[in-house]
Amino acid sequence: MKAPKGKTAFCFPGQLQEKPILEDHHPLREDPHCKELLVRASSQTKFDLLNFSFGGDEKEEDFSLKLQISTYILSMVYFYRLRAAGWNPDIFAEHSMGIYAALAASEAISFEEGLHITEAVGRLLQREGAIHRGGMASIIGLPLEEVQKVCQDLNSFQLSIANYNGSRHYVLSGEEKGVEKAISLALSRKAVSATRLAFNTGLHSPLLYTLREEIMGILQDIKIQPPKVPILNHWTIKPLRREEIKDFLSQEIGRPVYWIRCVETLLQKGVSQFIEVGHEATLTKLMRWIDREVEAFSAGAPHPIPLPSGERGE
Amino acid sequence: MVEPNDQLIEKIKQLIIQRLKLADITPEMIETDAPLFGEGLGLDSIDALELVLGLEKEFGVIIPDAEVGKKVFQSVRTMAQYVLEQQGAV
Repeated sequence: MKAPKGKTAFCFPGQLQEKPILEDHHPLREDPHCKELLVRASSQTKFDLLNFSFGGDEKEEDFSLKLQISTYILSMVYFYRLRAAGWNPDIFAEHSMGIYAALAASEAISFEEGLHITEAVGRLLQREGAIHRGGMASIIGLPLEEVQKVCQDLNSFQLSIANYNGSRHYVLSGEEKGVEKAISLALSRKAVSATRLAFNTGLHSPLLYTLREEIMGILQDIKIQPPKVPILNHWTIKPLRREEIKDFLSQEIGRPVYWIRCVETLLQKGVSQFIEVGHEATLTKLMRWIDREVEAFSAGAPHPIPLPSGERGE
Repeated sequence: MVEPNDQLIEKIKQLIIQRLKLADITPEMIETDAPLFGEGLGLDSIDALELVLGLEKEFGVIIPDAEVGKKVFQSVRTMAQYVLEQQGAV
Protein backbone atom coordinates (compact mmCIF):
# COMPACT_ATOMS: atom_id res chain seq x y z
CA MET A 1 0.00 0.00 0.00
CA LYS A 2 1.29 3.45 -0.86
CA ALA A 3 1.97 5.82 2.00
CA PRO A 4 -0.28 8.88 1.83
CA LYS A 5 1.58 11.77 0.23
CA GLY A 6 2.10 14.72 2.54
CA LYS A 7 1.77 18.35 1.59
CA THR A 8 4.41 20.36 -0.21
CA ALA A 9 5.71 23.72 0.97
CA PHE A 10 7.65 26.10 -1.26
CA CYS A 11 10.07 28.07 0.92
CA PHE A 12 11.29 31.45 -0.35
CA PRO A 13 14.68 32.39 1.16
CA GLY A 14 15.86 35.81 2.26
CA GLN A 15 18.70 37.81 0.75
CA LEU A 16 21.63 35.89 -0.72
CA GLN A 17 24.89 36.53 1.11
CA GLU A 18 27.21 36.16 -1.86
CA LYS A 19 27.13 37.18 -5.48
CA PRO A 20 25.35 34.40 -7.40
CA ILE A 21 27.73 32.62 -9.76
CA LEU A 22 26.06 32.35 -13.16
CA GLU A 23 29.07 31.51 -15.28
CA ASP A 24 28.93 31.20 -19.08
CA HIS A 25 27.76 27.59 -19.10
CA HIS A 26 25.30 27.91 -16.23
CA PRO A 27 22.01 26.15 -17.18
CA LEU A 28 19.91 29.19 -16.17
CA ARG A 29 21.38 31.17 -19.06
CA GLU A 30 19.54 28.89 -21.49
CA ASP A 31 16.41 28.51 -19.38
CA PRO A 32 13.33 29.97 -21.12
CA HIS A 33 11.80 31.20 -17.82
CA CYS A 34 15.02 32.94 -16.92
CA LYS A 35 15.31 34.55 -20.34
CA GLU A 36 11.74 35.82 -20.23
CA LEU A 37 11.99 37.21 -16.70
CA LEU A 38 15.29 38.94 -17.47
CA VAL A 39 13.71 40.67 -20.47
CA ARG A 40 10.77 41.76 -18.32
CA ALA A 41 13.09 42.91 -15.52
CA SER A 42 15.24 44.94 -17.94
CA SER A 43 12.26 47.16 -18.80
CA GLN A 44 12.16 48.58 -15.27
CA THR A 45 15.55 48.13 -13.59
CA LYS A 46 19.11 48.87 -14.68
CA PHE A 47 20.31 45.86 -12.74
CA ASP A 48 21.72 43.08 -14.92
CA LEU A 49 21.55 39.76 -13.06
CA LEU A 50 23.94 37.84 -15.32
CA ASN A 51 26.69 40.41 -14.80
CA PHE A 52 25.62 41.35 -11.25
CA SER A 53 25.86 44.96 -12.28
CA PHE A 54 23.94 48.22 -12.60
CA GLY A 55 25.64 48.76 -15.94
CA GLY A 56 28.91 50.42 -15.07
CA ASP A 57 27.80 52.85 -12.39
CA GLU A 58 28.99 50.63 -9.55
CA LYS A 59 29.25 51.63 -5.93
CA GLU A 60 30.43 49.43 -3.11
CA GLU A 61 27.36 50.28 -1.05
CA ASP A 62 25.13 48.80 -3.79
CA PHE A 63 26.24 45.28 -2.88
CA SER A 64 23.28 44.46 -0.59
CA LEU A 65 20.81 46.01 -3.02
CA LYS A 66 22.24 43.92 -5.88
CA LEU A 67 21.96 40.80 -3.73
CA GLN A 68 18.34 41.65 -2.91
CA ILE A 69 17.32 42.09 -6.55
CA SER A 70 19.26 38.95 -7.54
CA THR A 71 17.51 36.96 -4.81
CA TYR A 72 14.09 38.10 -6.00
CA ILE A 73 14.64 37.39 -9.70
CA LEU A 74 16.29 34.02 -9.06
CA SER A 75 13.49 32.89 -6.74
CA MET A 76 10.97 33.71 -9.46
CA VAL A 77 13.03 31.83 -12.07
CA TYR A 78 13.24 28.76 -9.83
CA PHE A 79 9.53 29.01 -9.02
CA TYR A 80 8.66 28.71 -12.72
CA ARG A 81 11.18 25.91 -13.18
CA LEU A 82 9.59 23.95 -10.33
CA ARG A 83 6.12 24.48 -11.77
CA ALA A 84 7.35 23.31 -15.18
CA ALA A 85 8.76 20.15 -13.51
CA GLY A 86 5.26 19.39 -12.19
CA TRP A 87 5.49 20.61 -8.59
CA ASN A 88 2.27 22.05 -7.14
CA PRO A 89 2.74 23.61 -3.71
CA ASP A 90 0.06 23.50 -1.02
CA ILE A 91 1.51 26.38 0.93
CA PHE A 92 4.29 28.99 0.78
CA ALA A 93 6.67 29.88 3.58
CA GLU A 94 8.95 32.91 3.36
CA HIS A 95 12.05 34.00 5.21
CA SER A 96 12.69 37.73 5.50
CA MET A 97 12.81 39.39 2.06
CA GLY A 98 11.66 36.13 0.47
CA ILE A 99 8.19 37.56 1.05
CA TYR A 100 8.38 39.60 -2.19
CA ALA A 101 8.91 36.54 -4.41
CA ALA A 102 6.33 34.57 -2.39
CA LEU A 103 3.75 37.29 -3.07
CA ALA A 104 4.55 37.39 -6.78
CA ALA A 105 4.53 33.59 -7.08
CA SER A 106 1.13 33.48 -5.36
CA GLU A 107 -0.10 36.14 -7.82
CA ALA A 108 -0.99 38.55 -5.01
CA ILE A 109 1.22 40.98 -6.96
CA SER A 110 2.80 40.80 -10.42
CA PHE A 111 6.45 39.96 -11.11
CA GLU A 112 7.02 43.61 -12.02
CA GLU A 113 5.38 44.89 -8.83
CA GLY A 114 7.50 42.52 -6.75
CA LEU A 115 10.64 43.75 -8.51
CA HIS A 116 9.61 47.36 -7.93
CA ILE A 117 9.02 46.74 -4.20
CA THR A 118 12.31 44.84 -3.86
CA GLU A 119 14.36 47.62 -5.43
CA ALA A 120 12.51 50.50 -3.75
CA VAL A 121 12.71 48.94 -0.26
CA GLY A 122 16.33 48.00 -0.95
CA ARG A 123 17.19 51.63 -1.78
CA LEU A 124 15.38 52.76 1.37
CA LEU A 125 17.47 50.35 3.45
CA GLN A 126 20.61 51.54 1.70
CA ARG A 127 19.79 55.16 2.53
CA GLU A 128 19.01 54.21 6.14
CA GLY A 129 22.32 52.32 6.40
CA ALA A 130 24.23 55.38 5.22
CA ILE A 131 22.62 57.53 7.96
CA HIS A 132 22.46 55.04 10.84
CA ARG A 133 25.12 52.42 10.29
CA GLY A 134 23.73 49.04 11.31
CA GLY A 135 24.46 45.40 10.72
CA MET A 136 23.55 41.78 11.24
CA ALA A 137 25.50 38.79 12.54
CA SER A 138 24.85 35.09 12.29
CA ILE A 139 25.54 33.34 15.62
CA ILE A 140 25.80 29.57 15.36
CA GLY A 141 26.19 27.05 18.16
CA LEU A 142 24.84 28.96 21.16
CA PRO A 143 21.42 28.25 22.72
CA LEU A 144 18.75 30.96 22.81
CA GLU A 145 19.44 31.99 26.44
CA GLU A 146 23.11 32.64 25.63
CA VAL A 147 22.24 34.72 22.56
CA GLN A 148 19.71 36.72 24.59
CA LYS A 149 22.39 37.31 27.19
CA VAL A 150 24.78 38.66 24.54
CA CYS A 151 22.06 41.20 23.58
CA GLN A 152 21.44 42.11 27.24
CA ASP A 153 25.13 42.52 27.99
CA LEU A 154 25.45 44.97 25.09
CA ASN A 155 22.11 46.69 25.62
CA SER A 156 23.40 50.18 24.87
CA PHE A 157 23.76 49.13 21.19
CA GLN A 158 20.06 48.25 20.73
CA LEU A 159 20.76 44.69 19.65
CA SER A 160 17.91 42.27 19.14
CA ILE A 161 17.39 38.78 17.75
CA ALA A 162 16.32 39.24 14.13
CA ASN A 163 16.02 35.61 13.01
CA TYR A 164 15.19 32.50 15.03
CA ASN A 165 16.54 29.99 12.51
CA GLY A 166 17.18 26.90 14.64
CA SER A 167 17.78 25.91 18.27
CA ARG A 168 21.48 26.82 17.84
CA HIS A 169 21.24 29.33 15.03
CA TYR A 170 20.21 32.96 15.51
CA VAL A 171 20.81 36.24 13.71
CA LEU A 172 21.42 39.42 15.68
CA SER A 173 20.63 42.87 14.39
CA GLY A 174 21.38 46.40 15.58
CA GLU A 175 23.93 49.20 15.48
CA GLU A 176 27.11 48.26 13.64
CA LYS A 177 29.46 48.71 16.60
CA GLY A 178 27.20 46.56 18.75
CA VAL A 179 27.10 43.83 16.11
CA GLU A 180 30.92 43.76 16.00
CA LYS A 181 31.08 43.53 19.79
CA ALA A 182 28.41 40.82 19.82
CA ILE A 183 30.50 38.71 17.42
CA SER A 184 33.53 38.89 19.75
CA LEU A 185 31.41 38.18 22.80
CA ALA A 186 29.64 35.21 21.18
CA LEU A 187 33.00 33.72 20.12
CA SER A 188 34.41 34.18 23.62
CA ARG A 189 31.36 32.31 24.91
CA LYS A 190 32.10 29.31 22.65
CA ALA A 191 29.94 29.91 19.60
CA VAL A 192 30.84 27.53 16.74
CA SER A 193 30.76 30.53 14.45
CA ALA A 194 29.83 34.24 14.61
CA THR A 195 30.06 36.26 11.41
CA ARG A 196 28.79 39.47 9.81
CA LEU A 197 26.09 39.17 7.17
CA ALA A 198 25.97 41.31 4.02
CA PHE A 199 23.75 44.09 5.42
CA ASN A 200 24.56 47.64 6.52
CA THR A 201 21.26 48.06 8.37
CA GLY A 202 19.75 46.31 11.36
CA LEU A 203 17.10 44.48 9.36
CA HIS A 204 14.27 42.90 11.40
CA SER A 205 15.13 45.00 14.43
CA PRO A 206 12.92 47.70 15.97
CA LEU A 207 15.49 50.24 14.67
CA LEU A 208 13.86 49.96 11.24
CA TYR A 209 10.29 50.17 12.42
CA THR A 210 10.42 53.90 11.70
CA LEU A 211 10.49 53.17 7.94
CA ARG A 212 6.98 51.74 7.86
CA GLU A 213 5.28 54.88 6.50
CA GLU A 214 7.79 55.21 3.68
CA ILE A 215 7.24 51.56 2.78
CA MET A 216 3.49 52.18 2.80
CA GLY A 217 4.20 54.96 0.31
CA ILE A 218 6.03 52.52 -1.98
CA LEU A 219 3.01 50.20 -1.85
CA GLN A 220 0.41 52.93 -2.31
CA ASP A 221 -0.42 52.31 -5.98
CA ILE A 222 -0.19 48.53 -5.84
CA LYS A 223 -3.46 46.61 -5.79
CA ILE A 224 -2.96 43.40 -3.84
CA GLN A 225 -4.89 40.34 -5.03
CA PRO A 226 -5.83 37.38 -2.81
CA PRO A 227 -2.86 34.96 -2.79
CA LYS A 228 -3.64 31.84 -4.88
CA VAL A 229 -1.44 29.77 -2.57
CA PRO A 230 -1.56 30.51 1.18
CA ILE A 231 1.55 32.31 2.48
CA LEU A 232 2.64 31.75 6.07
CA ASN A 233 3.39 35.03 7.86
CA HIS A 234 6.88 34.69 9.41
CA TRP A 235 6.04 36.48 12.64
CA THR A 236 2.41 35.59 13.46
CA ILE A 237 2.83 32.12 11.83
CA LYS A 238 -0.63 32.36 10.27
CA PRO A 239 -1.60 32.59 6.60
CA LEU A 240 -1.50 36.18 5.37
CA ARG A 241 -4.88 37.61 4.41
CA ARG A 242 -5.00 39.95 1.45
CA GLU A 243 -6.10 42.95 3.56
CA GLU A 244 -3.15 42.61 5.94
CA ILE A 245 -0.38 42.22 3.33
CA LYS A 246 0.51 45.94 3.04
CA ASP A 247 0.67 46.31 6.81
CA PHE A 248 2.82 43.20 6.98
CA LEU A 249 5.24 44.51 4.34
CA SER A 250 5.54 47.89 6.04
CA GLN A 251 6.24 46.36 9.45
CA GLU A 252 8.11 43.12 8.83
CA ILE A 253 11.52 44.77 8.36
CA GLY A 254 11.22 45.97 11.97
CA ARG A 255 10.13 42.63 13.41
CA PRO A 256 11.87 39.25 13.78
CA VAL A 257 11.58 36.17 11.59
CA TYR A 258 10.44 33.14 13.61
CA TRP A 259 11.61 30.53 11.12
CA ILE A 260 11.68 27.59 13.58
CA ARG A 261 8.02 28.18 14.40
CA CYS A 262 7.16 28.44 10.68
CA VAL A 263 8.69 25.02 10.03
CA GLU A 264 7.11 23.45 13.12
CA THR A 265 3.70 24.79 12.08
CA LEU A 266 4.11 23.42 8.55
CA LEU A 267 5.07 20.00 9.94
CA GLN A 268 1.95 20.05 12.12
CA LYS A 269 -0.13 20.91 9.06
CA GLY A 270 1.11 17.74 7.36
CA VAL A 271 3.84 19.20 5.15
CA SER A 272 6.36 16.47 4.33
CA GLN A 273 8.24 18.07 1.43
CA PHE A 274 10.09 21.36 1.78
CA ILE A 275 11.41 22.87 -1.41
CA GLU A 276 13.65 25.90 -1.29
CA VAL A 277 12.81 28.28 -4.14
CA GLY A 278 16.19 29.95 -4.47
CA HIS A 279 19.74 29.78 -5.70
CA GLU A 280 21.41 28.42 -2.56
CA ALA A 281 20.44 25.83 0.05
CA THR A 282 20.28 27.94 3.20
CA LEU A 283 16.73 27.04 4.25
CA THR A 284 17.33 23.41 3.26
CA LYS A 285 20.27 23.31 5.69
CA LEU A 286 18.15 24.90 8.42
CA MET A 287 15.48 22.27 7.73
CA ARG A 288 18.07 19.53 8.28
CA TRP A 289 18.72 20.94 11.75
CA ILE A 290 15.02 21.28 12.71
CA ASP A 291 13.88 17.88 11.37
CA ARG A 292 16.43 15.51 9.84
CA GLU A 293 13.88 13.04 8.50
CA VAL A 294 11.79 15.33 6.34
CA GLU A 295 12.40 15.59 2.58
CA ALA A 296 13.98 18.90 1.66
CA PHE A 297 15.89 20.14 -1.34
CA SER A 298 16.74 23.38 -3.07
CA ALA A 299 15.65 24.10 -6.63
CA GLY A 300 19.01 25.85 -7.05
CA ALA A 301 21.08 22.74 -6.23
CA PRO A 302 23.50 21.71 -8.99
CA HIS A 303 21.56 18.55 -9.90
CA PRO A 304 18.33 18.65 -11.97
CA ILE A 305 15.06 19.38 -10.13
CA PRO A 306 13.57 16.01 -9.05
CA LEU A 307 10.11 15.06 -10.26
CA PRO A 308 7.17 15.11 -7.82
CA SER A 309 6.47 11.71 -6.20
CA GLY A 310 3.43 11.01 -8.43
CA GLU A 311 5.70 11.33 -11.48
CA ARG A 312 8.40 9.02 -10.10
CA GLY A 313 6.20 5.90 -10.30
CA GLU A 314 6.04 5.54 -6.51
CA MET B 1 51.35 14.11 14.92
CA VAL B 2 49.32 10.87 15.05
CA GLU B 3 48.49 9.53 11.60
CA PRO B 4 44.96 8.16 11.21
CA ASN B 5 44.44 4.83 9.43
CA ASP B 6 42.25 4.29 6.34
CA GLN B 7 39.40 2.95 8.45
CA LEU B 8 39.11 6.13 10.50
CA ILE B 9 39.40 8.30 7.38
CA GLU B 10 36.52 6.32 5.85
CA LYS B 11 34.43 6.73 9.03
CA ILE B 12 34.97 10.51 8.99
CA LYS B 13 33.89 10.67 5.34
CA GLN B 14 30.77 8.66 6.16
CA LEU B 15 30.04 10.97 9.08
CA ILE B 16 30.27 14.04 6.82
CA ILE B 17 27.95 12.46 4.24
CA GLN B 18 25.39 11.35 6.82
CA ARG B 19 25.36 14.49 8.98
CA LEU B 20 25.16 16.82 5.98
CA LYS B 21 22.77 14.57 4.02
CA LEU B 22 25.00 14.73 0.92
CA ALA B 23 22.88 12.41 -1.20
CA ASP B 24 24.99 12.76 -4.37
CA ILE B 25 28.40 12.26 -2.72
CA THR B 26 30.25 8.99 -1.99
CA PRO B 27 33.28 8.66 0.33
CA GLU B 28 35.53 8.13 -2.72
CA MET B 29 34.54 11.55 -4.02
CA ILE B 30 35.83 13.34 -0.89
CA GLU B 31 39.57 13.99 -0.99
CA THR B 32 41.23 13.35 2.37
CA ASP B 33 43.37 16.50 2.25
CA ALA B 34 41.07 18.85 0.32
CA PRO B 35 39.62 21.89 2.14
CA LEU B 36 36.12 21.28 3.48
CA PHE B 37 35.04 24.92 3.51
CA GLY B 38 35.04 27.47 0.73
CA GLU B 39 36.59 25.48 -2.09
CA GLY B 40 36.54 21.68 -2.03
CA LEU B 41 33.23 20.46 -0.56
CA GLY B 42 32.07 24.06 -0.15
CA LEU B 43 30.74 23.67 3.39
CA ASP B 44 29.58 26.65 5.48
CA SER B 45 29.07 27.50 9.14
CA ILE B 46 25.66 25.78 9.34
CA ASP B 47 27.43 22.62 8.17
CA ALA B 48 30.14 23.17 10.81
CA LEU B 49 27.51 22.99 13.55
CA GLU B 50 26.33 19.62 12.18
CA LEU B 51 29.90 18.32 12.15
CA VAL B 52 30.52 19.50 15.73
CA LEU B 53 27.47 17.53 16.83
CA GLY B 54 28.43 14.56 14.65
CA LEU B 55 31.94 14.29 16.18
CA GLU B 56 30.44 14.49 19.65
CA LYS B 57 27.82 11.80 19.00
CA GLU B 58 29.99 9.43 16.98
CA PHE B 59 33.36 9.77 18.72
CA GLY B 60 32.60 11.54 22.03
CA VAL B 61 34.94 14.33 20.95
CA ILE B 62 34.19 17.97 21.80
CA ILE B 63 35.06 21.04 19.72
CA PRO B 64 35.31 23.64 22.49
CA ASP B 65 35.26 26.83 20.41
CA ALA B 66 35.44 28.37 16.93
CA GLU B 67 39.24 28.63 16.97
CA VAL B 68 39.68 24.89 17.50
CA GLY B 69 36.88 24.27 14.97
CA LYS B 70 38.79 26.22 12.30
CA LYS B 71 41.85 24.00 12.73
CA VAL B 72 39.90 20.73 12.99
CA PHE B 73 37.62 21.32 10.00
CA GLN B 74 40.41 22.06 7.53
CA SER B 75 40.13 18.62 5.94
CA VAL B 76 39.05 15.03 6.57
CA ARG B 77 42.61 14.26 7.71
CA THR B 78 42.69 17.06 10.31
CA MET B 79 39.30 15.87 11.64
CA ALA B 80 40.62 12.31 11.98
CA GLN B 81 43.84 13.54 13.64
CA TYR B 82 41.82 15.52 16.18
CA VAL B 83 39.67 12.47 16.99
CA LEU B 84 42.81 10.39 17.62
CA GLU B 85 44.43 13.11 19.73
CA GLN B 86 41.35 13.58 21.88
CA GLN B 87 40.70 9.88 22.32
CA GLY B 88 44.33 9.30 23.23
CA ALA B 89 44.17 12.10 25.79
CA VAL B 90 41.32 10.45 27.73
